[in-house]
Amino acid sequence: MNDADWLAALDHELTLRGVPTAERAEAVLEAETHLADSGPGPGARELFGPADRYADDLARAAGAPGRRPVPAPAAEACLLRADDLAKAYRGRAALRPTSLAVAPGQVVALVGPNGAGKSTLLRLLAGLESPDSGTVRRQAPAGWVPQSGGLDPHLRPVEHVELFGAARGLTRADARREGERLARSLDWELAGAPVAGRLSGGTAQKLRMVLALVGSPRLLLADEPYQGLDADSTRRFWDLLWSVCEDGAGAVVSSHDPQVLRRADTVVELRPAVAR
Amino acid sequence: MNDGTGRPAPPTAPADLSREWIRGVLEPCLLALVATGDSYGYELAARLSAAGLGPVPGGSLYPALTRLEKQGLVSSRWRAGDGGPGRKYYRLTAAGRRQLGADVERWSSFAAAVAGLLREAVEV
Repeated sequence: MNDADWLAALDHELTLRGVPTAERAEAVLEAETHLADSGPGPGARELFGPADRYADDLARAAGAPGRRPVPAPAAEACLLRADDLAKAYRGRAALRPTSLAVAPGQVVALVGPNGAGKSTLLRLLAGLESPDSGTVRRQAPAGWVPQSGGLDPHLRPVEHVELFGAARGLTRADARREGERLARSLDWELAGAPVAGRLSGGTAQKLRMVLALVGSPRLLLADEPYQGLDADSTRRFWDLLWSVCEDGAGAVVSSHDPQVLRRADTVVELRPAVAR
Repeated sequence: MNDGTGRPAPPTAPADLSREWIRGVLEPCLLALVATGDSYGYELAARLSAAGLGPVPGGSLYPALTRLEKQGLVSSRWRAGDGGPGRKYYRLTAAGRRQLGADVERWSSFAAAVAGLLREAVEV
């Protein structure tokens, strides 16, 4: 059994023991970094013992209730449901079969190393690409925060907001008002901002978030949305996301940030399709 | 622990016995190590090993850290790493510091008692 398999087995065993999602993801990540720090040589089994016994010790230490995990929400209650999505590019697997469901008010965090398929999965969920196999069912229009692109360099942020708002049925004045409110919650003033091509990377990212949220879509898909943001703006972004979801929206967010795991309702850990 | 550098192994007690002993004192030792500064699992294992307490496998280390955290004796936070997912750093809490003080007292008298008993046997 290689380390990746051992880590997957640990995740499974902790799930069976009712260790809460965030703690489980942290425990797996912690073991993974420990293995990386250890370098070549002893493998996971030598350092940690059999995955099931280690899961026993951890679960007992964490005082886990020992219950079965909460079942996935029923299909009809989901804003988004994906079953066994898989994708390959030029015969190379980019995403191993993955399923997830998002109920109203839920935040699903996608974690995993580069190359594990986080961006691929989000693009499939957003409908920007078609899966090789599996199905996506969206019950609600989605706001999409890409890592880059998605802006017209010659248009001012206000004009972007009016366009995106129009696509979601808002009048110009309403779109502008909502855009300004969203921008302010990210500590940014929309009015007077220069054309998108002249925005800094962080400000352009704020604009992408505002555009994703204008018109209050019930579903938000975001691919490492805080890239280029400073610590304060990142915190403001998360505050905005949690408040939108408290109001009943659902979100799928990819993230490298373990802090996010503490607050996400579900953590979906993706692993590279090719063993490392 | 194989540190992969080819350096000579630090002094350790015979492996089988020290493994038994460390089980009883791992948690106080971890409190003592984090008392000198925030640290993460792998570094703590390396420091235990360097201190001559033998290799402490992750399978013992992290459950012990989890227990300490659940008891509120240490707190934890993730810090970004170099491109990786970051590391979970542990920090001594005020309660941990009080516990450590009590552990030092208890261990000192226990260790003295054991040492006294063993010495007596040798002197007979």
